[in-house]
This record gives sequence, C-alpha cells and structure tokens, in this order.
Amino acid sequence: MGSPFDINGGACVAMVGKDCVAIACDLRLGMQALTISNNFPKIFNYAPSTYLGLTGLATDVNTVSDLFRYKVNMYRLREERHISPRPWPTCPVLAGINQTTGKPFICGFDSIGCIDFAKDFIVSGTASDQLFGTCEGLWEPDLGPEDLFETISQALLSAVDRDALSGWGAQVYIIEKDKVTQRLLKGRQD
Amino acid sequence: MDKIVAQYSRPSHQNEFYSEQEQQDLTETLPPLSLKFALPPVANPSAFLRAMTDDHSNPSCPIKLAHGTTTLAFRFQGGIIVCTDSRATAGNWIASQTVKKVIPVSRLSRGEDKPSNEPTPGLLGTMAGGAADCQYWLRYLSQQCTLHEIRHKRRITVAAASKILANLTYSYKGYGLSMGTMLAGVRTTASFLPSNQVGLELTSTAFIGNPQEGPALYYIDSDGTRLPGNLFCVGSGQTFAYGVLDANYRYDLTEEEALALGRRAILAAMHRDAYSGGFINLYHVKEEGWVHHGFDDMNPIFWKTKLESGEFSNVTSEL
Amino acid sequence: MTSLMDHQARETVGYSFSESTAGVKQHGFYPYTDNGGSTLGITGSDFAILAGDTRSTSGYNINSRMVPKVFKIGGDDETGEGANIILSVVGFAADGTALKERLDTVVKMYKYQHGKPMSVSACAQRLSTILYQKRFFPYYVHAILAGLDEEGKGALYSYDPVGSYEREQCRAAGAAASLIMPFLDNQVNFKNQYIPGSGEGHALVAKKPEPLPLETVKGLVRDAFTSAVERHIEVGDNLQMVIITKAGIEEVYHPLKKD
Repeated sequence: MGSPFDINGGACVAMVGKDCVAIACDLRLGMQALTISNNFPKIFNYAPSTYLGLTGLATDVNTVSDLFRYKVNMYRLREERHISPRPWPTCPVLAGINQTTGKPFICGFDSIGCIDFAKDFIVSGTASDQLFGTCEGLWEPDLGPEDLFETISQALLSAVDRDALSGWGAQVYIIEKDKVTQRLLKGRQD
Repeated sequence: MDKIVAQYSRPSHQNEFYSEQEQQDLTETLPPLSLKFALPPVANPSAFLRAMTDDHSNPSCPIKLAHGTTTLAFRFQGGIIVCTDSRATAGNWIASQTVKKVIPVSRLSRGEDKPSNEPTPGLLGTMAGGAADCQYWLRYLSQQCTLHEIRHKRRITVAAASKILANLTYSYKGYGLSMGTMLAGVRTTASFLPSNQVGLELTSTAFIGNPQEGPALYYIDSDGTRLPGNLFCVGSGQTFAYGVLDANYRYDLTEEEALALGRRAILAAMHRDAYSGGFINLYHVKEEGWVHHGFDDMNPIFWKTKLESGEFSNVTSEL
Repeated sequence: MTSLMDHQARETVGYSFSESTAGVKQHGFYPYTDNGGSTLGITGSDFAILAGDTRSTSGYNINSRMVPKVFKIGGDDETGEGANIILSVVGFAADGTALKERLDTVVKMYKYQHGKPMSVSACAQRLSTILYQKRFFPYYVHAILAGLDEEGKGALYSYDPVGSYEREQCRAAGAAASLIMPFLDNQVNFKNQYIPGSGEGHALVAKKPEPLPLETVKGLVRDAFTSAVERHIEVGDNLQMVIITKAGIEEVYHPLKKD
C-alpha cells in the first residue's frame, strides 16, 4: 500500500538569493493518515554554511543523515578543514555557501543519485508538485536575505497546506557568508 | 379480501389532483437503475467502476473522487450537536478546505446556511465518503421529505427519513456508492404544520402516528446500515473524535459545554488525521429547529486552545 | 508494522462494492484518455474569469496546439452571442465536449420554455445532476462553471467528475492544478499572509481576503500559467482567457511557450 516516499510525508525546499541561500522543511512525521510527530526537522547541518534537507521514508532520512555525518567527520579529520558544499551522491537537497569562493550553491538528487544543479530552487517531498508551482510563481533572482526568507516561507507554507501528508509547522535556515539564521514558522496544525 | 384491502388502501382524495399513474410517478422512489443512470457497456459495471475510481484498492486509478472526513453528532439534554471538518482530499492532494459537510434536509431551509440565532425547522444530514454521493442523495432525500410534508401535512420523522435513505443505499448495494451519513432532527407536536402552510385542509388523519419523537439521531451508510444512537463519529478521523467525546461526554451537558465539546473533538481529529482539517462547522439541533454556530478556521482556534489552556503541548511554538 | 499501517490506510466509510469484485482487476475496457491541460477560474466583485491552455496531449504526444477548453453556454452556436454562463472542462476532451453539449442544450431549452435565461445557480445545480446521471460510468472531466449571480457578483462553481460541487472564489483544475492552486491560495485568498507590524509572533493578525480588481486577476492568471508551463509538460501553447462582466463576455488569447 503506497510508495515508501509517501508513508511518512514531508517536504523540503532550497532557494538561491543574492549572496545567500535558504533551505526550509516542514515538521511532520506521519504514518500515512496518522500524524505521529510535529517536531521532526528534516534539515541537517554538517559544517558552517552547509545544510542538507532529506525527505522520504523517515528511517532512511535518519540513516542517511547519520551516514553522511560520519563521512563528513572523516573528511574533516583527513583533510583538516571543514567540508564545503559540492555534489555528494546520497542526499536529496543540499544548500550552502562555498567557503572559498563565497558563491551560493544548491543542488538536488533523486533517490539513486542523479544530480540536479539549479540556479533558482530545488524542491522535494510529498508536496513537490505544489512547491514547484509556488516557487515558480513567487521566486525571482537576486533576493536579499530578508526577501528570500519571506519568499521561501510563503512558498513552503502555501504548498504544504495543499498536501495532506506534510505541514504542521516549518523551519527555515537563511545562510549568508558569515551568518546563519534559523527560524521556526507557525504553520497550520491540520 | 384483496378487494377490500384495495378499497381502503386507496387515498380518499385520489381523484382531486392527479391520476393514479401520475401519483405513481411522483411517489415511486426511482425508475429502474438502467433508465436513470448510464452504465458502462461491460458485463460487470461495478468492477469497471472500481478499477476507474477506487483509489484505495488501486492508487493509480484515473478518476479520483473527493474523500476523507471527520464528522460527529451526539444527543444531549438540550438537543443534538452536529460538528464536522471541511476538507476534501483526492489521494494526498487537498482538493478543498471549504466543503460544507452539514446539509440541511428540508424544503424550508435549503440554501440558507448563514450563522444565525433563529432556528430553522428541518433535519440535518452529514457528509462522509464520496462527496457527490452524499450531496446527491441528501438532495434526493430532501425532495422526498418535502413530498411527505405536502402529502401528509406534517414534517417527516427522523426515523422515516433515515429509512428512506437506508432503503435507497441498500438498493444500490454493490454498485460502489460510498457514503456514511448521520441524520439528526427533533420532532415534536410543533412539527405539525398549520394548514395554511401547505394550502390544504388539515384533517384529523394527520395526527395518526407517534407525535412525540423527540431528538433523534441515525447513522446510515452505503452498505445499507441504519442505526439509531446517542453518539456517532464517522470518517477517517473518527477514532480521534471518539477519544475526546468518550472522555468528556455526559447526557446532561449544558448547551455551552456541548458546543465546546463538539468543537474540541473535531479539533483533535483535524490535528492528528491528515485527511481532516480546514474549518469547524458547528450546528445545534433544538426543538424549534437547527441553529448554525459558525464555520470557523481551525488554525486560530487551535493556537488559542494551545496557548491559553496548555493543551496540545506536543506542538512546538518556540525554536 | 505492516499490518498496523494497512489498518491506518483503510478508511472507515468504505465503498459498497460486492465481494465478487474484490481486489484490483485489470480491465480490458478502458474508454478514457487523459488529454492533459489545465484550467483555472477566479471571481471578483463584478466579474468572473475562466482560463485554460490550448494544448491537447495523449501520453507524450501533442495532438493539437489549439483546442480551447473554455466554452460559452446557452449562446449562438457559431459566435456564442447571448450566452451568460461559461464552462471550462479538462480531463478527457471527448467527455468534456459531450458534457458541454448536454449543458448547452439544457440551458437553451430552459430559455425557450421559460422565456428567460437560466440563472447561474440553477445551471450549477443542473450540471451537478447531469454529472451524477453518469455516476456509474463517469465523465472523466473536472468542470468549472462561471457567470454573474443575481446580485451581479462573480460566481464560480467547481465540480468533481461525478458532480459534487461548491461555490468558490478561485479554483484550478487539470494536470497542473497541484502547481497552480497553492499559488492562488497565497495570492488570491492571502493564505499565510499577515499584516506587517500588526503584532509580534502569535499576536500577528492574518490578512483578510478581499475581491481583487480585474487587472490584478488577469496578471495572476498569466503568472499562474507561465509558471505551470515551465514545470508541466502537458500545459502550453496558448492561454485562453474568457472574462464575463455585466457588459458581456470577452475572449482573449495569449501565446505561451510551445516546447
């Protein structure tokens, strides 16, 4: 009954602005119709200004995030420096700012690792259709951090309100070169 | 013997308005199925319909119909509370957040759905399962109830109205209808219409039968089930609503307590059930008729409940 | 775990399918094609707009780039003159055409018999019964009906394939409905928008929806479709917009991307 991508629900989106990126996710963890938790963030931090959003089956979200943390730690020990965002073949939505070049970077993957580089936004999760619609309608190039926050928040909240399996609040990270702002959004609780 | 029965079973005023055939056409519940509804040209129509529309057994079916609901109704000393959510889903897609799932079943009250303190006479029906099935058949029931009023010069009992609907769903059993509905109404001696309202002379025969039905609540579904009861919850979020209701329900609730309980039970279901949500639609059925107590967005009510009474502590409100 | 999830998945109000047809059956009889495309309707205080793209697809093929999805109901066959109701249909085009013809006939017969045009609310009710007549062999269409109500306000009714209907402010239907609808929630009904500076945190006051002026709505319709064209392969070619006001019905076409 149902594909594994639709069992737990959840949505994630990343957007590029002017010298900044934003990544946001909803907070729901469900078992089909039943909402089990409203505090299940799907964004993980691996280094200063490197964030990863994971959607899909919750057990795999945990597994991949832990596995990735292990790989990142090994990288740091071996290279003696923090990892910077660049393609990595296990994760659905990656957002960050390259520490050496200062360029905003986002990319998305399918579950088996096909990379999608984008200059505008990346969406994933059960509300991905809805997110495509809202992002395509609301996003514009070169948004500043505050405008980018408003855009990604409106896009995510409106999208998850039309998806039965995601929502119940949201988290947003605004990543600038030397600053990261984390915010909690008050979303519909149905 | 048959002749005598025939003589007395015929209405005394049969030649006044319509011929027997015309009356027959009016009173017949429905012409045979194949005349009324188009059927696909296959041996087994219901298997075809299931393959095309049943998204439970076949998630990739082409025609997705609107579903998913929480509705509740309970009897208490002051009448009946009817409360529903307002979400319609097709698969995981939320098709609408503003569905009116309480449908007035009465000639006098159709179309009037504005919150008001003036009671409107008539029954209320609720909608769970297929939206079109519920809308269509409750409209049909409305028509039957109006005909009953005209013919018998008094309002129909909830028992009789629910029986019409149950007989109907039973006759379509196996064809793939999907509905779970509750009928609520209060019938007292006040329900006998003054003669000028139907334009016919009120005769003594109009008082045959039980004049005092009182508040009555029935559950009817597409399998043909018909149950009288004190408390029902129907739909995908029913278990959550039962949880709240069973913990707090008493027959001697005050009107205010009963309204709050109905609202709180739906709120719980909307929060936990992915396929319920939107607006809280609240009705109170009293002796004089039903009163609409609002169609309110659940979100402000939820946060008020959480922040002011400390319920729903599972929800994070601070980072 | 599995059985627990199965239990959760089952809805309490079931279908009354008889046991002999239990389980999914592959059916040889498949009379439907999805012709793609998308439609959308928005109302204002004195107008209603229905819009649709003009692409017709089957699978990955494009049948035609010019198949309008919005029709005038009850008017002249050629010009549509005299109509006061508009209908959009999306889904299976043959069912859509059949439905439009049925409704057109009904509305015309009403006018001949009663000597006055059918009101939008009456037409909306009638369309619902027409759809439900085929409850067991449905029209594979999502219909939207629009016109002006008795008070001259824009009226919009949306339908599911078997005739459940509701009056709304705005509605998107068809292939890209899931892309367009959340955008409309946000931009037409101001969902998730708050009045800036009205408070902090929980004290913020939500923005109340109000009817939008015609020019704003036209802009939103075009934005919605250019967005949908970017991300949905079944939507494109041309945008047909039909606007109904007190002055009559105006129909305009705009080009969309053709890739």
